[in-house]
Amino acid sequence: MTAIDMMGGFTGAHWALLGWLALLSGLLALDDTALGQTWLSQPLPAAAVAGLVCGHPLLGLAVGLPLQLALVMNLPVGQTVTGDASAGAVAAVGGAILAGKVPAALGGFHGLTEGAPRGDLALTGWLLLGAALWSLGGHPLIQAERRLHLIWMLQGRRTLRDGNLSRVERIHGRCLAATLVRGVLYGGVGVLAMAGLWVPAFEALPAGLRGAMAWVPVLASALGVGAVLERYGVGRHWRWVGAGAIAGWALGVLT
Amino acid sequence: MSGPVRPGASDTVASLPKGLRCAVFFRSLGLQASWNHQRMQNLGLLVCLMPWLRGRERDPERDRLFCRRYYEFFNTNPYLAGYVIGGLLRLEREREGVGGLPRGQAQIFRDSLARALASLGDQLFWLGLRPMVALLGCALALAGQVWLVVALGLVVGAGQLVWRWRALGRGYAAGYDIVSLLGDPRWHRAIAGAKRAVRVLAGLSAGWLLRHAWEGSGQVGTTPWALLAVLVAALGLPVVVRRRWAGEFMVLATGVLALLLAFALGPKGS
Repeated sequence: MTAIDMMGGFTGAHWALLGWLALLSGLLALDDTALGQTWLSQPLPAAAVAGLVCGHPLLGLAVGLPLQLALVMNLPVGQTVTGDASAGAVAAVGGAILAGKVPAALGGFHGLTEGAPRGDLALTGWLLLGAALWSLGGHPLIQAERRLHLIWMLQGRRTLRDGNLSRVERIHGRCLAATLVRGVLYGGVGVLAMAGLWVPAFEALPAGLRGAMAWVPVLASALGVGAVLERYGVGRHWRWVGAGAIAGWALGVLT
Repeated sequence: MSGPVRPGASDTVASLPKGLRCAVFFRSLGLQASWNHQRMQNLGLLVCLMPWLRGRERDPERDRLFCRRYYEFFNTNPYLAGYVIGGLLRLEREREGVGGLPRGQAQIFRDSLARALASLGDQLFWLGLRPMVALLGCALALAGQVWLVVALGLVVGAGQLVWRWRALGRGYAAGYDIVSLLGDPRWHRAIAGAKRAVRVLAGLSAGWLLRHAWEGSGQVGTTPWALLAVLVAALGLPVVVRRRWAGEFMVLATGVLALLLAFALGPKGS
């Protein structure tokens, strides 16, 4: 099924859902760098909220959990910004649900998929790759937006000559609006691209290749956790890490 | 001048008028909205301070000079910016009627405080609390508690709003005395505590992954021992290599690794 075929089959409800997801992506883009900066724009809550919007919160967690573990060390220290992870998360969750596919939870073993349709861990891996690509694609957009802010900021220097305060406030508001528009458009296009191209491409993969995708969520999560251990140190702090590992093993037994 | 202020202590005598405090607070949430590569948060800072200026009678010359003072480079941690904004409002108020705050004085106060708070904020928020909350959210997700994940997001969001509201009041109450706030040992205790929590939660995630590797090996079409060995290697790889890649690149790299492993270990499909 091509993207155009899929869009031809869209009902009003599908378009409404797409609109809500695009709006969610816009709000998360604002939260990520411009306004508030709460934790909601991180991949896990972003995917969970996208799942809630679609009526499948657990499927949101299925994608959000490995994505969060893999991206946990993406820290915006100083000027560092890597990608647009919230747009990637919303696109992956929304795209899968609009395409009628069900990703499985990492470990999918117990609580996570309870009450949800049986999913496919290989699809989760494929969606993770899509989310990572979409997030990286958002990076040049964020940089372009920041260059636009610079141009507007330089225009605002006229206020230093005439003392017109409203001009500066208007420029600031324009920057906020630009972020919102970027988030809405990038998130909306992302959901469509995932639903119309990325998920159908998974169906077309050879069986061996498709099966291999089931490794992605497991490996990406382990590498992400490994990166945390590398950053925070294991050697001198092995007691804390060890205590956590025992608790994690016990949690795994209990859930 | 007020006495020394301590992070986490109750509100001091701060006398920022309620209306002004609300207006500045809401604007301070968007401090980074107009972030740019040349002067970073300068426009955001000026917009935050404007309600104070707008509460005065219009004087184009004074407004012009005010904008000049704050149109220069400014960058700090957004969660701690309230201390700088509050402090600057206090200095502006104190110099009101005597020619305004001299540009050099505003610059020294703003730049030195912003730099110190940026460094503190990087350690406490970006390298401490943020990964801690992310891993805590993952622990809740591992238990399938989607509502708790969303609730955690809301609680953290509300908590940082309260923090930022109080920082604004404390910054105003302290004025120049705000420097004593930076020497408070509780900052460093909080940083150490957050990093310790990150280690515990990272260990927890690792333990959970290993436990489920044992049970869930069928999902990736291999044996429990093989999956366990691969996971231990993946957990240890960043520690051994000691390189820090962006998470997105790690995910893409796992796509290649997944293909190699599937062929090496004999995939059965999912």
